[in-house]
Amino acid sequence: MPDLEVNLAKTYDAVIIGSGAAGGMAAHVLTTHGLHVLMLEAGKKLPIEQELRSMEWPYDNANRGALPPDSHSLSFNEYTIRKPPYGAGFEKAKHLKSYIGDSDYVKNIVVDERENPFTGTNYAWVRARCLGGKTNIWGRLALRLSDYDFKAKDRDGYGENWPISYSDIQPYYDKVDLYLGITGVKENLPYLPDSIFQRPTKLNCAELTLKQSLQKMGRVATQYRAGVTSDGLKHNKYRSRCYGRGACERKGGCDIHAAFDSPTGLIYPAQDTGNLTLRTNSTVREITVDPNTGKASGVHFTDSQTMKDYHVKAKVVVVAASTLESARLLLLSKSRLYPNGLANSSGHVGHNFCEHVMGPGIAGKVKDLVGKPPTLDDGRPGGFYLTRFRNLAEKHPKFIRGYGFEGSSGSAMFPRGTDVHGFGASFKEEVRKNQGAYIGMGAFGEVLSRYENFVDLDPVVKDKWGIPALRFHYKFGDNEHRMAEDMKETAQEMFEAAGFEIMYVSDRVLTEGWSIHELGTARMGNDPKTSVLNQFEQSHDVKNLFVVDGSAFVNASCQNPTWTIMSLCWRSCDYLADELKKGNL
Amino acid sequence: MSTNDPIDLRQDRRQWLRTSATMVGASLLPLPAVAAETSQAEAKPAASTAKADEGKSAAHFFTPVQFTLVEELSETIIPADSRSGGAKAAKVADYIDKVLRETIDDNKKSLWREGLRLIEIMSQHYHDKSFVASTAVERIAVLTVLSDNSKLTELPEVRFFNDLKELTVTGYYTSKIGIHDELEYKGNRILKEYVGCDDQGPATS
Repeated sequence: MPDLEVNLAKTYDAVIIGSGAAGGMAAHVLTTHGLHVLMLEAGKKLPIEQELRSMEWPYDNANRGALPPDSHSLSFNEYTIRKPPYGAGFEKAKHLKSYIGDSDYVKNIVVDERENPFTGTNYAWVRARCLGGKTNIWGRLALRLSDYDFKAKDRDGYGENWPISYSDIQPYYDKVDLYLGITGVKENLPYLPDSIFQRPTKLNCAELTLKQSLQKMGRVATQYRAGVTSDGLKHNKYRSRCYGRGACERKGGCDIHAAFDSPTGLIYPAQDTGNLTLRTNSTVREITVDPNTGKASGVHFTDSQTMKDYHVKAKVVVVAASTLESARLLLLSKSRLYPNGLANSSGHVGHNFCEHVMGPGIAGKVKDLVGKPPTLDDGRPGGFYLTRFRNLAEKHPKFIRGYGFEGSSGSAMFPRGTDVHGFGASFKEEVRKNQGAYIGMGAFGEVLSRYENFVDLDPVVKDKWGIPALRFHYKFGDNEHRMAEDMKETAQEMFEAAGFEIMYVSDRVLTEGWSIHELGTARMGNDPKTSVLNQFEQSHDVKNLFVVDGSAFVNASCQNPTWTIMSLCWRSCDYLADELKKGNL
Repeated sequence: MSTNDPIDLRQDRRQWLRTSATMVGASLLPLPAVAAETSQAEAKPAASTAKADEGKSAAHFFTPVQFTLVEELSETIIPADSRSGGAKAAKVADYIDKVLRETIDDNKKSLWREGLRLIEIMSQHYHDKSFVASTAVERIAVLTVLSDNSKLTELPEVRFFNDLKELTVTGYYTSKIGIHDELEYKGNRILKEYVGCDDQGPATS
């Protein structure tokens, strides 16, 4: 994969802004179609294997795997008490990181909050500015959406339907499964369609107990559907199959790339086609417009390190900077023709911002497993996924939409249950005896898409590159809080039914943003008055502008978004390439 | 001290602080004294010891006397037993020293200096001897007072105990002894096939 120089005199077929799941997929699809593509990434290309060091023992790490002591990562309490821009009160910290940054393995992957400020309502905004973005530390749960999500309005009257159905995207889910690899077990659920799975991981005994108990309640727990190749991928020389090495719970990625990440899964193979030019350290500040045609003409970017400004021309601009950054860039791209920002004649850019609410969860102990010899339980990319069960056949009286739980159980490198009372010989023995007996899970629920939840540009605060910061106007609503109460109640009910001894149960809602599943800020739709993009993630206003990341989502569903982002992006980029060849862009 | 009834820490501390005032001088009061830097200076070993230890102590947070105390405190939190070594063998005090030496949180540094001082006062109050000179049973008795009152986080000795426990737990279970000897952790190695629950049989797709 040769690194090609950017040719500023050339007009590229397409410029892609961002190198995460969406940008990587756009690069893969467009280069496969033979297009000459430039990818701009704001951050560095990190020596990622040296960052992740997935098999490093904690005692071989100077800080036992924690963030170096000169830096600080924000805690739940700090997010609650303080107001953005976060930074005041942490003057002594050399670097200030979001909550996920509390690890030596991700310290260079997530951004410094002070270089990248934002204002407004509290938000745990996790950003990774480096090649591959957040896919480098991806949680791996790879779920499909169904018509229960795409046509949710038909079921409960709320919000808007997507301009596509499951049948439109299903072939692209299949392509993503086969190209990137996914492990799981078929369940034939109408609301959670199966993927084309590679060899699944297995459930351990506690998880199997839960699964069997849930069956009696008509609920489903299934093996974690992980975007991980368990059988290997013959067409990809950059990724190994999963060897179940067991550090998957560590906050950080996979240094053999069995778990999907954008660079090894998508970008390096795209570079091998010879059609992709990649420039890192390129912070895009504006999408430029040809005043005569009204079409996008290219992008204006700043070298993130030298601060030098450049302009590059392209026939098509593909925005894949992540949901909130993509909205920010559209709003920044104001011109005489587009005074409210690019692709924003509807006024919906930045609005309908949605995600997943999380926090409520439960931990319990399986009495039969207490005191059993230690077992290997974490040699898997994930434990189990407990699928949605609310508002499927019956309507819940207190809230609409649904939630699922992610969970795991058994021994881990750092024992669970050290927060029990006491100390001394009995404490030590209790930790040892209980270490394999724990089972826990946490909920992810749909946050309703609401016009009133939005981001805009702060009139004063700017980032390190002098670019106006994003300002948040975003809060969970009543539906989310009622759902959170139900999450706690059902978690308790299901653990009790399985016979687990409950150690902890909570309906505490974590700070907005915690799920790292921001969505919806440039939603798709058939009506240009109420949506930003059409069903191919193409701007209604500007034909040669596509926004292919999570901002295109019409609702959040309760399933994790990455697999859908990539499947939609593949579909849109097939269309893009076709339209470009036809001369329609 | 009675080991049957939980001690009323708020009640008790008035007494032991009074004792300490007459014992070591009123300069230690009032509490919570973030005049901790002063007490740190007072806690320094005699000049000759300090000199012999100079090169070392410059790079350390704890004085040699404090270090020994932390070793015994951490060992009381996670002791050696027939199965594995305890916090002392796992060098937890070295880990804690590094954390405190490098932290940018000055309150944490102060809390530890204050906490170590208060532990000594408590030990003198309850057993008329230093924590290090106490028997295992006596040491446990002192920490039980704090453990049983771990919710009273407005008291510096309680906050100290909670942090001592947290750092000891982290230091111990991230050590070789904690991971391999004590918990016999099986993972972090190349695994041919993950073995699931026995009843489950071969996984099917």
